[in-house]
Amino acid sequence: MTASSPGTAETVDQPVQPPPANVPKVRGFRPDLRLSILFGVLVVLCVIGYVTGPDTFLSESNISTMLRLAAAIGVVSVGMTFVIISGGIDLSVGSMVALASVWMTTLATQSYGPFVMVVCALAVGLGAGLINGLLIAYGKLVPFIATLAMYASARGLAERLSGRRTQVVNQQGYLDFFRGAFLGIPVLIWMLAVVYVVGWVVLNRTTFGRRTFAVGGNAEAARLAGINVKRHTAMVYAVAGLCCGIAALMVVARTTSGASTNGLYYELDAIAAVVIGGTLLTGGRGTLIGTLIGVLIFTVVNSIFTQNNLETDVQNIAKGVIIVAAVLLQYGTNRTRKT
Amino acid sequence: MSIDPSRRKFLLGASALGMSLGAGALVAGCTSNTPAAAGPQQVAGGSGANAQPGKPVTIGFSAPAADHGWMAAMTKNAKAQAAAFKEVTLDATEGTNDVNQQIAQVETLINKKVGVLVILPFDGKALTAAGQQAMDAGIPVINLDRVFDTPLAYRTWIGGDNYRMGVNAGDYIAKQMKAKNVSNPIIGEVAGIDSLPLTQERSKGFKDALARNGFKVGPRVSAEFTAESGERQTANLLQGASKLDALWNHDDDQGIGVMAAIDSASRKEFVMVGGAGSRDMMNRIKADNTVIKATVLYSPSMASTAIAVARLLGQGKGVGDFAEHEVPASITTYSAVVTKDNVDSYLDVGFDS
Amino acid sequence: MSESPNPESLLTMTGIVKAFPGVRALDGVDLDVLPGEVHCLLGQNGAGKSTLIKVLSGAHQPDDGVITWRGEPATLGSPVAALRLGIATMYQELDLVPGLSVAENIFLGNEPASFGFTKRLAMRGAARDLLRRLGHPEIPPGREVGLLSSAGQQLVSMARALAHDARLIVMDEPTAALAADEVDNLFRIVAELTAEGVAVVYISHRLDEIRRIGHRVTVLKDGRTVAAGLPANTPTSELVNLMSGRMVETVFPRRDVSTVDESREVLRVEGLTREGEFADIGFTLHAGEIVGIAGLVGAGRSELLETVFGARKADAGTVMVNGKPLRPGSVPAAVAAGIGLAPEERKSQGLLLDQSVADNVTLASLPAFSRAGFTERGKELRTARATLERLDLRPADPRRIARTLSGGNQQKAVVARWLVRDCSVLLLDEPTRGVDVGARAELYRLIHQLAAAGVAVLLVSSEVPEVLGLADRVLVMREGRLLTEAPAAELTEAAVLDLVMEGSEVMT
Repeated sequence: MTASSPGTAETVDQPVQPPPANVPKVRGFRPDLRLSILFGVLVVLCVIGYVTGPDTFLSESNISTMLRLAAAIGVVSVGMTFVIISGGIDLSVGSMVALASVWMTTLATQSYGPFVMVVCALAVGLGAGLINGLLIAYGKLVPFIATLAMYASARGLAERLSGRRTQVVNQQGYLDFFRGAFLGIPVLIWMLAVVYVVGWVVLNRTTFGRRTFAVGGNAEAARLAGINVKRHTAMVYAVAGLCCGIAALMVVARTTSGASTNGLYYELDAIAAVVIGGTLLTGGRGTLIGTLIGVLIFTVVNSIFTQNNLETDVQNIAKGVIIVAAVLLQYGTNRTRKT
Repeated sequence: MSIDPSRRKFLLGASALGMSLGAGALVAGCTSNTPAAAGPQQVAGGSGANAQPGKPVTIGFSAPAADHGWMAAMTKNAKAQAAAFKEVTLDATEGTNDVNQQIAQVETLINKKVGVLVILPFDGKALTAAGQQAMDAGIPVINLDRVFDTPLAYRTWIGGDNYRMGVNAGDYIAKQMKAKNVSNPIIGEVAGIDSLPLTQERSKGFKDALARNGFKVGPRVSAEFTAESGERQTANLLQGASKLDALWNHDDDQGIGVMAAIDSASRKEFVMVGGAGSRDMMNRIKADNTVIKATVLYSPSMASTAIAVARLLGQGKGVGDFAEHEVPASITTYSAVVTKDNVDSYLDVGFDS
Repeated sequence: MSESPNPESLLTMTGIVKAFPGVRALDGVDLDVLPGEVHCLLGQNGAGKSTLIKVLSGAHQPDDGVITWRGEPATLGSPVAALRLGIATMYQELDLVPGLSVAENIFLGNEPASFGFTKRLAMRGAARDLLRRLGHPEIPPGREVGLLSSAGQQLVSMARALAHDARLIVMDEPTAALAADEVDNLFRIVAELTAEGVAVVYISHRLDEIRRIGHRVTVLKDGRTVAAGLPANTPTSELVNLMSGRMVETVFPRRDVSTVDESREVLRVEGLTREGEFADIGFTLHAGEIVGIAGLVGAGRSELLETVFGARKADAGTVMVNGKPLRPGSVPAAVAAGIGLAPEERKSQGLLLDQSVADNVTLASLPAFSRAGFTERGKELRTARATLERLDLRPADPRRIARTLSGGNQQKAVVARWLVRDCSVLLLDEPTRGVDVGARAELYRLIHQLAAAGVAVLLVSSEVPEVLGLADRVLVMREGRLLTEAPAAELTEAAVLDLVMEGSEVMT
């Protein structure tokens, strides 16, 4: 079943299309190069850290501390990456972390023991994310609006539940496990690693991930290919919520308490990390590795500034400069991209 | 503040939400508690003739959102104090961190012609005009804690002493260092939000007191009065300083996070001092099994005092033991240092973080 | 054909040429417009009318040819330049700003102002005068344009043309969105304008309208003027003959043997209705059969296809695939039943432009390329490559990014998506739009191959020769209704055109 002749043979005055073989394979989007540049930025920052603090910066304990600090925002950023690749945005991640951390540390929840606390946090995160997803997919709300509403109400509910108090964890078993270490590496870092590995596999090796790219790349085309776009959208936001539940476990472990002030500005930090990582805000393209590097860049900057006793305002300026610089650097590799 | 029925109703709603979240009875079970029952509340009793009920007074009260333990305690104390006086009616607005909204609230209270106004401004400068407007309308204003730009805007100012908090923390640490014979101590500081004047005053007092003793401030970070930021910043600080002799944390709300970070890093070699005076920190001081050995007060009991003074103003009385016929124009509370030795006598002013 | 320009002419265009990559849209167009006349442009889809309008409005620059305006050579370098000369264009899709007021739209880009401040009152007054002149003083100049009916918006568009003191107004299918009484009003205004000496270039598919208000007719075909300045009462048969009879017939491979298997009815549609789009449509499709749907844009053809596919939910009627009724309004159900759709807008509806061809090809059959939710990349690439080779898509590299493919190859990639599913019904909506002639021939051959392999193909095309050349049977739709069903061999292009365009009384 092959056609006999190439198509252009029988026409006369048609300008011949340029031979397709000369077209670069992946015009304008070279993920490997972008990631290398991003990784280079991280390395440069680490060198700066080492130069300004040769004794402390690359020590085992500092690396461990930096990774533990990166854990919660790192996990939240995994969910955010899924949402943004699917063409959406989630402004409520910080509030969902707060709600999950408060709900799992109420006296009542704690009275059921550590296992129930964990289940509670995950269920609250998943449930809040699912509400986002249902509002967006079936309620036809714009993601910005739906998650803005969750941003306000989830934190409000967290304040109500906690009476705006910091709820201290009295379940020593919980603290022993999540603040402990396994094979010499803190549990939080294991969790971070597992979430990224699982997230990467789901995004790149499963039909769920493929559909996420498809929905973000062209929702209409995905719909006309028979994909249930609404259900998938709802599921993506539920994943983001679940990630917030996991992050709440981490924050509660780190601070030994749950409070409605947890997760402040997580949405901004997560979006910044995702964008720095090379994921397009318009959806359809993105990498989790980039997101992870983005998270680590911010963590390293934070550590360098504290180590050198610099003011937080300077640190905020540096953060802004890094966001712009990292994105510009990547666009530099990407001039021919048509938008 | 005890649990009022409306709140109970809301929590029922919250557990209904829990069901809809898909977590079922399990999560609904999570909500069956209400926040820890009210702890000790500081209620000032009138003394002498002031103990007798006077003419009825309506007191207007406006404060920022009770979004952390200290601020929550301020509002709670004000309400408890008002409830202790039969003839006092408290008209409290919903706390807000939006300056414009707080101005609007104050204006509403002025229009309601309350007898006395107690204003704890989110931002003293921004609310100055509102305070002055009330004074011009003949309503005495009690300016609580965050001070207005001009004394014309208040009848009486009641507040803590941020500078002295720093001084007392510094003096206590210096005394400890000298007692231990540490010659060149490394003294760390976990401040609050750096852009706030109160943080700057605390830090200046701390620096001045240490300087007076020939010491200086070493590694310093600033957190945001939340447990999470306290943990993050302290973890970084401890990484940067492999050895510490002392550490002052400005705020016991963020102190929970600070303690968690110290615990994570398994650090025990230094002396820590807290700030503001939460019950949680006082209990830890009492237990004496962690690095925290003291906290300097910045007590929300001042809100109780403010209501008591407002009542006296409304009734045209003076303060009992004072010779003056009038209430003073300014009252500064003292930042006592609470240690293991005196903690029992201060537990009643500790607030729930 | 090019005589010396008529000295009385308002506008003459001679030998206008405009080429786009792969297409020669205008290939020697002549047009001659007198002051105070309604000059009608006729031609099939793709004959070059839209491009000619864009040249007239200054949006496109011709590659060759001469334009004379009031006896002087002129260049229409930009829309603003055209407006300055006095040529105003009312586009089919109204180019108004919905959030601005009527007056602001009328004077958009041309606001009466002093020292940078808009003279709002003067503007409103002038707008009121213009609307009164158009017979609609009741439209408030301050009203937001988005709140007006489409007839009202059209009046605003016309007022804008008048505000520029236009001598020539180009109207592109102005009655498409109007009800009968609004059409009457439009024609009254046109008559008044021409009485004042304003010329109108009028584009419409409705021959009866042309007879009512037109003075002369120019017919375009394949980018050329085939008849200029005919009287408006030229017989219909002559006009239709001029418009039809394309020269590119050679690209249609003749179907030597029909592959229709009458015994296997694959698709049956009965009484399918969607309010305001189409009503009571019924037809059948057999294995190996190609059925074409002819009709004008807006006749409801694309809507019909999407409804059969479940992308739109029918108000009434049934779709049966292989004898089983299909759940209405569900694309997954249609896909599971073996229907595939190559949508009209390839880029915005069909493809993931930034993803690989393989990703696009397997999009509708991901479960077949995964085990326990994990994708099998190797199998995907192998299948995609095999399918691309079968479709003769070169190079058959499944890793290429879809955006880098030519139009014809993109269309093949969309078709490939359904081939890997072994679909039994393929719905093709304007499959050759934006595809150059050479690649078209390949697509035609491909469609024949699919039919030979037993696929039932339902094809929508605005080009009548394409429908006649490809299909076994032809359905003709007009204004949401099925007019005729006949074997392609029994129809001529002129007959179909006649059906499509004639009898255009406005439905109410």
